Amino acid sequence: MLIDAHTHIWGGRYEESTAELLAACERYGIDRIHVSGLNAHQPDEAEIREMNANVARFMKEQPGLVQGYCYVNPVHPGSLEVLRENIEDRGMTGMKLWVATYCSDPRVFPLIEQCIAYNVPVLIHSFHKAVGQLPAESTGVHVAELASRYPEAKLLMAHFGGNCYHGIKAIRDCPNVWVDFSGSLFRRDELDYTVRQIGHERIVFGSDMPITYLVNVGQVEEADLTAEQKECIYSRNALTLFDRTRRLPAQRRAYA
Amino acid sequence: MNGDVNCLLGHWPFRKLYKNTLQDLLDIHRTNGIETGYVSSLNAIFYNDPFEGDEELHAALQGTDYRHILTVHPGLPGWERDLDDGIERFGIAGVRVYPTYHGYSLNGPEMERLCRVLESRGLPLFLTVRLEDERLDYLIKPAPLSVQNDLIPFLGSHPDLTVLLLQLRYGEATAMKEAILSHPRAFFDTSGLKDGLFVIEKLLRQFPPDRLMYGSQYPLYCLKSTLLLVELAELDPEDKARILGGHRLFAAPGS
Repeated sequence: MLIDAHTHIWGGRYEESTAELLAACERYGIDRIHVSGLNAHQPDEAEIREMNANVARFMKEQPGLVQGYCYVNPVHPGSLEVLRENIEDRGMTGMKLWVATYCSDPRVFPLIEQCIAYNVPVLIHSFHKAVGQLPAESTGVHVAELASRYPEAKLLMAHFGGNCYHGIKAIRDCPNVWVDFSGSLFRRDELDYTVRQIGHERIVFGSDMPITYLVNVGQVEEADLTAEQKECIYSRNALTLFDRTRRLPAQRRAYA
Repeated sequence: MNGDVNCLLGHWPFRKLYKNTLQDLLDIHRTNGIETGYVSSLNAIFYNDPFEGDEELHAALQGTDYRHILTVHPGLPGWERDLDDGIERFGIAGVRVYPTYHGYSLNGPEMERLCRVLESRGLPLFLTVRLEDERLDYLIKPAPLSVQNDLIPFLGSHPDLTVLLLQLRYGEATAMKEAILSHPRAFFDTSGLKDGLFVIEKLLRQFPPDRLMYGSQYPLYCLKSTLLLVELAELDPEDKARILGGHRLFAAPGS
């Protein structure tokens, strides 16, 4: 079984994005994809509505294959209602934060608290960059801050935090942070390094389709992993993460 | 015979490489049906005398069918003698350069001299566009070669040189499509083709398959990642064979 926990529909390109996602699912035998809509770095309310409507439409068109993340801009006063509508009414199973604010921004906190109440994971774009860091682009350090504040929140740090040697070290002591290696970074040793640092149980397969897919599969296939570890990464860890009946303990870490 | 035109051996100063020995390279190639490789020395990029890195590489490659690609820094004195030594002692199949790490212009006088020598020796140039994804650089931040300012003028100035562009991205390849196709002997490898689903199929709508060669840039990058792009592409099997066997162009002396 293969679950891809990190895919997108690009704004204004619904037909193209979904056609490519479906073609990839069919060609590569992907059983489930978790999808969010993305477009501008600072989306307004109308764009957020459009992105989420696209995801909801795709979920309806492909039941069983597609699950949705509710995309929110925490700057918007109505973001909590956006989250409510998409989780409760449309059946989305997670929340997506991109680059509108740092994930540790106080405006994010009510959203995280609501995700804890729903017991759904939060996919957080995280990318530490040597060049081109965006003004409010989260890194592993921000994810770790959020994780410490909300140890019962299920957080999924995307892209191994960009530079994995930065991102993974930042979150390695946060048991409520899962990580994916989505995106176009496919350095030979990143996955092996991450397993050494945090074990394999918190690593979730994500690709960033329609940007990339096979380079991410190649990372799993080439890493020094057992068959069981691969199975966990390809599907079992995602099943655990998205299981709304499994709650994380609420106690804070001693050094939080 | 499948081959890998972009492999490296040695140490990378910015992160630990878990699989950087010759045996690691042989193993990953054998596991994936690749029978030969064109190998450069990572150490030679950083040694003050690059040739010492190539002597190490030569010792490592002895007894294998792998071909040695010599690292040259044309801004340093003595490289012409090193190049001749490389031909004589190592039987090199080409020369690899790293302008953005070594700090000279691709279109400056140092490279001009090197290109003239390579043409006279019948050797191909393995041109490194980038090594790391620039977003992940650590300590030093060499910008990749620019398509418009570096690569297109360079190809235009050297129509008689065989040039293999390493770590070119999909968007860069398409942006310099005319420059590549109008050059009789310009090629690029697969190691930078990470962006976009079905990227190989998309590329081959714009380039003939004999312009693209399989190269992994192992061990910096995951070999299986780029190999799957080719293996699982919906292509004519003959086109796949051309990509995976493109290295044969460099196999014979005087290529």
